[in-house]
Amino acid sequence: MILGVTFTEAGVIGLLVAAVQFGTLLYLAALGETISEKAGVLNLGLEGMMATGAAMGFIVGVETGSPWLGLLGGAVAGAIVSLIHAAAAVGLGADQVVSGLALTFLGLGFADFIGDGYTDDARRARFADVEIPGLDDIPWVGEVIFRHSPVTYLAVIIGVAAWFVLNRTAIGLGLRAVGETASTADAAGHSVVRLRFAAVATGGALAGASGAYLTTYLVGSWSQNLTAGRGWIAVALVIFGAWRVGRVAIGALLFGLTLALKSRLTLFDIEISGQFVDMLPFLLTIAVLVVISFRARNRPSPAPAAIGIAYRREER
Amino acid sequence: MKRLVLARRETTTRGGQPLAFLVGLVFALVVGAILLRITGDPVLDVYERMWDRSLGSQNTWSDTFNRAVPLALAGLAVSIAATMGLWNIGAEGQIMFGAIAATFVGRLLPDAPGLVLIVAMLLAAALGGALWSFGPAVARSEIGVSEIITTLMLTEVASRLIVYLEQGPWKDPDGFGFPGVTPRPDQAELGTLWERTHIGVLIALAVIIGFAWYLRRSVWGYELRIAGSSEKAAAFAGISVRRKVLGVLLVSGAVAGFAGGIELLTTTTGKLNVQISNGYGFAGIIVAALALMRPSGVAAVALAFGALQVGGQAIQTNPGVSPAVATILQGLVLFGAIGAAVFSTYRLRLVDRQVAES
Repeated sequence: MILGVTFTEAGVIGLLVAAVQFGTLLYLAALGETISEKAGVLNLGLEGMMATGAAMGFIVGVETGSPWLGLLGGAVAGAIVSLIHAAAAVGLGADQVVSGLALTFLGLGFADFIGDGYTDDARRARFADVEIPGLDDIPWVGEVIFRHSPVTYLAVIIGVAAWFVLNRTAIGLGLRAVGETASTADAAGHSVVRLRFAAVATGGALAGASGAYLTTYLVGSWSQNLTAGRGWIAVALVIFGAWRVGRVAIGALLFGLTLALKSRLTLFDIEISGQFVDMLPFLLTIAVLVVISFRARNRPSPAPAAIGIAYRREER
Repeated sequence: MKRLVLARRETTTRGGQPLAFLVGLVFALVVGAILLRITGDPVLDVYERMWDRSLGSQNTWSDTFNRAVPLALAGLAVSIAATMGLWNIGAEGQIMFGAIAATFVGRLLPDAPGLVLIVAMLLAAALGGALWSFGPAVARSEIGVSEIITTLMLTEVASRLIVYLEQGPWKDPDGFGFPGVTPRPDQAELGTLWERTHIGVLIALAVIIGFAWYLRRSVWGYELRIAGSSEKAAAFAGISVRRKVLGVLLVSGAVAGFAGGIELLTTTTGKLNVQISNGYGFAGIIVAALALMRPSGVAAVALAFGALQVGGQAIQTNPGVSPAVATILQGLVLFGAIGAAVFSTYRLRLVDRQVAES
């Protein structure tokens, strides 16, 4: 017993499993936001894109009976709504904060709109857990890491691929250049508009997939306000991860753990209001940001320099 | 070969923004009509009902005015922070905590005379809002933590705090065991001007005019604008940017919290609940953006948004029509206006392909 909390083996393992599950949710969204911000476009519409992906993912999933198609449908829907932000913020040079928040409105509204007839639908199109043969028998580790939905493994693969594209390919170099100094990248022959559109759409697709993961696995059904502020945490995760693919993954697991706490509370026999546990990830985000900023106050910021700045060729 | 490009106008078109707003509104209604059409709802019936319920009669104008109050105050809060280039994205949470603080005072002085209690509760609400933005303000001014994220996070915290209060310490003993906060004292209710229009409309208008005037005419407002446009210039002029950042975020929070107080003093149930902020804080950002962050424009845009929201609520009573259409419309207005506003500084030109690509 520590602090009146009883730790059981099953409880701890259950918590860690849930941490990876919620971590997957956060990672997909945060990775997408990282890619978008790397190209210099802040997208605060994450909640909206996730919600749209969640609703569309559920609809496509139950109508076709395939969670895979659901996931794909969510990603496509997320990418499509993200293009509205790209058109406004990249194409027309609107303020990225305002446009992103308007996208939140639009996305949440659109999700409720298309999901209206599917609320409390009893049908399910849910991913089954996949056990990696040979590895899932390892005590503790096997259960925590090697028995998950395919989406978790997919997220790892996408993460590695994103790292590779961003850091080892010409496209990735161009994308990062566009996010640092757009005019220089433009002069070097990169199409600022095209790269930024692509980055935003990729971010939208990943956010949409993250939302679809909610309805095709984690929750398994659609209801209003399903994303419940987790999109905002994903935005903060990008700062936590210093815009680096690997570090964002670590952050996603850490914050996944705090999100998991609520659902696993009963395993530990803790006497605390669920509301306070619910606040934890948000308060932790603030605390982490404060610590990061405090430590980095005399160093150059790791943020892409052109974040939030619209690029118009004739104004360079 | 010819192609279309955006070319900068030599002078920005005057009156572009109100026009862009109108274009945005029309754009939203057209797209909304398409959506309704897809779901097979009677477009004209729905829009007629929206109009009837928001601007159709004196009675419904009251609802629109009342709804405009929190939207305008939230928009004002956002625009005050924006004078310095700061984003108070968490007005939503400050509204909630303002209402919490007002409820606290109501519980503290249940027998105070009405006017005293109303003033005390409104002051507490403003203080509460400032308190809720204090953390983000200090973090931003002292170590440069993005106020966008911190204010947002505190919104999520505030909503859960209210649920906690409803279930636990402030639970209504007469609530038949259901979660819910004890209603505010009966005498703490803002009166009405006409029909259902409450006095909060006048108070909000006074606050907005006051701030519009003060930001324009005072040394504080002048220094804010300098610090907002160039930190270097501000430093040369001996203006402490740090203290301005701190001050402006606190004031912004106070205005949002004040909106929460007005909401609490005018809700028919008199109860603090999560719905007290009802998305006003987020809608306020769109309102402020449409008003180009000018306090003077905020009131007008808030009134239009109030009508949109009140009318949108009426959609729900139409069987089968998704209430989400109203939310979508609000987002669309902004995107439409963004698109239209481009043409006050740019125009479309046909140019030769070679010229366009050189």
